[in-house]
Amino acid sequence: MIDFELSPEQRQIRDLAQRFARDEVMPHAAAWDRDATYPADTVAAAADLGLLNVGVPTEHGGLGLAMLDEALVAEELAYACMGFYTILMASDLGVTPVVIKGTSEQQARFLRPLTEGPRLAAFALSEPDNGSDAAALRTRARIEGDEIVLDGSKMWISNGAEAEWVVVFATADPSAGHRGVVAVVVERGTPGLRAQPIHGKLGQRCAPTAELVLDGVRVPRANVLGEVGDGFALAMRTLDRTRIPVAAGSVGVARRALDEAARYAAERQAFGAPINRLQAIQFKLADMAINVETARLATWRAAWLVDQGRPDAAASAIAKCYASDAAFATANEALHVHGGYGYVDEYPVAKLLRDVKLNQIYEGTNEVMRLVIARSLVR
Amino acid sequence: MKILTILKQVPDAESRVRVQHGSLDLTGATYVLDGMDEYGVEAALRVRESGVDAEIVAVGYGPAATDQAVRTALAMGADRAVLLEGDAFHDPLTVALALADVVREEAADLVFVGGKQADWDSAALGPALAEALGWAHVDWTTAFDLDGDAFEAVHDVDDGSETLRGRLPVVVTTQQGLNEPRYPTLPNIMKARRKTLDTRAADVGQDRMVVTGHAGTERERRRVMLDGDARSAAGELVRRLRDEAKVLREEGR
Ligand SMILES: Cc1cc2nc3c(=O)[nH]c(=O)nc-3n(C[C@H](O)[C@H](O)[C@H](O)COP(=O)(O)OP(=O)(O)OC[C@H]3O[C@@H](n4cnc5c(N)ncnc54)[C@H](O)[C@@H]3O)c2cc1C
Repeated sequence: MIDFELSPEQRQIRDLAQRFARDEVMPHAAAWDRDATYPADTVAAAADLGLLNVGVPTEHGGLGLAMLDEALVAEELAYACMGFYTILMASDLGVTPVVIKGTSEQQARFLRPLTEGPRLAAFALSEPDNGSDAAALRTRARIEGDEIVLDGSKMWISNGAEAEWVVVFATADPSAGHRGVVAVVVERGTPGLRAQPIHGKLGQRCAPTAELVLDGVRVPRANVLGEVGDGFALAMRTLDRTRIPVAAGSVGVARRALDEAARYAAERQAFGAPINRLQAIQFKLADMAINVETARLATWRAAWLVDQGRPDAAASAIAKCYASDAAFATANEALHVHGGYGYVDEYPVAKLLRDVKLNQIYEGTNEVMRLVIARSLVR
Repeated sequence: MKILTILKQVPDAESRVRVQHGSLDLTGATYVLDGMDEYGVEAALRVRESGVDAEIVAVGYGPAATDQAVRTALAMGADRAVLLEGDAFHDPLTVALALADVVREEAADLVFVGGKQADWDSAALGPALAEALGWAHVDWTTAFDLDGDAFEAVHDVDDGSETLRGRLPVVVTTQQGLNEPRYPTLPNIMKARRKTLDTRAADVGQDRMVVTGHAGTERERRRVMLDGDARSAAGELVRRLRDEAKVLREEGR
């Protein structure tokens, strides 16, 4: 009944992602991080190989990759650079609500173009004044005939300035709470939409983040996903899936941290022998391996449930929360194993720690994950 | 026309192998398509992309796990695959005779074979296959072009290279430099799922040769440490690489 053997295709998918990560991402990750450059060429190369927007269904020109397959890609790319993977992941975050709720006309209009080049999508839920309490969003949506008019601002939007279109969550009726929320696709270049890049991030510095200002943005009602009032549930159903790639990316970072620590511990000498002869260091390595393996199990299980047609909010939240906490702890210990050298950019471990901190925050902080998990326990 | 490309799965050069009791312990090694065979798959694809109407059939031989190598070829672009499955090790001549049956059955015109088998390093399979078929053979091939049924190929010889011309059918043995194999893209990996993979038990008959003994070679590393400042240490390193290891040559020498 339980089978951990990957299929031949899954192994190929993983090998492809691993090869791409090793050849095209890893050699540049440190420079992208230092200069906060957006690696447009490498995103285009990923698109050429089919690694971008993997969730687009086959009937619209995509691959409709299973969640477990996506998790394999995520782990390998994040092993090389979590920031780079966030660019691809955030695009799938934008794609997912269109896949879940879009009509086939909407899917054809919005998804097909994403398969025809290195084109990104984005997802705009958070605002300057609310993140965890997403239902308290303030961006207004007014219905005027065949149009929706949007006013407000969205904060921390990954790919916000680069995306072809953004799924914007807004309220048509602030007094209705989450029942007033509507999800609208807003295309880049729509008058009144402005993206303000956000600088100075601690990590994942090659992944662009922007504030989106919406000032009387008019879009056709045909861009509404589902009905007015469906938006909040759609956002939550989206995140129930997309937290799994966050978890898988965390596993990749943790595995990298373990590899870096193991390598360094074999080279570094102290008291006349490599430090990996010290049991204190060996135990750290063992704990890191425990983290990697258990985080991957939680992630694969959540992915498997999605692929069985039984996406499970709690399982995804457990995976995201556990894997990102485990990855943070692993990166932290890997840095420690490097001693003083861990504290500077000469070795990649400091970047791992800075990068993976975000995994504990975005797509719902790990406190919010615990709220989601608790909701399935407390009736 | 029909192009066959012969494949073998070999331990990944980066995987960990252990020497135990004088022989290799490969448990835990990961297996990949032999890099030399990959050149062959790529060469076949390039022949087709040059405008030749060709069916490309990947033919693997070896243990069941070889399907991974064969599927890599399918994902790179081969149209279908045949896998001769068998666990036992056979000498290259025995394998070549079994493969020759497949080549005849498929009525192929052109066969690519990896230059060496990355694990046994025999470099004998391609020549043996050409001999078994009575075909022409190009060894150590670094360039290959087809025009109708006429081919032109460049291959390495001891003091440089030779350019050869001939007509199909031919067995071409690959060499590094022939091409830069493509990655199987994700869409092609997904498409390959629907391609046919015909697995048969390898029927090789009697081995022409058997391995009766095995002895490992072990060599200690020299562990030389060069002292002094960077400039003199670098100078000494260059001298040793040039005069002792003979891996460097001065211009004009
Ligand atoms: C680089 C980056 C990229 C991002 N990309 C996107 C994106 O593409 N799209 C998007 O919509 N958003 C994005 N986000 C936003 C992210 O999802 C939010 O930052 C996150 O949900 C937290 O919201 P907040 O920042 O408003 O924090 P707050 O909600 O203000 O939380 C502050 C602190 O209080 C805690 N807290 C809040 N409520 C509770 C509670 N009930 N119980 C316990 N603790 C609580 C939180 O856990 C946190 O520690 C991104 C953020 C960053 C930094």
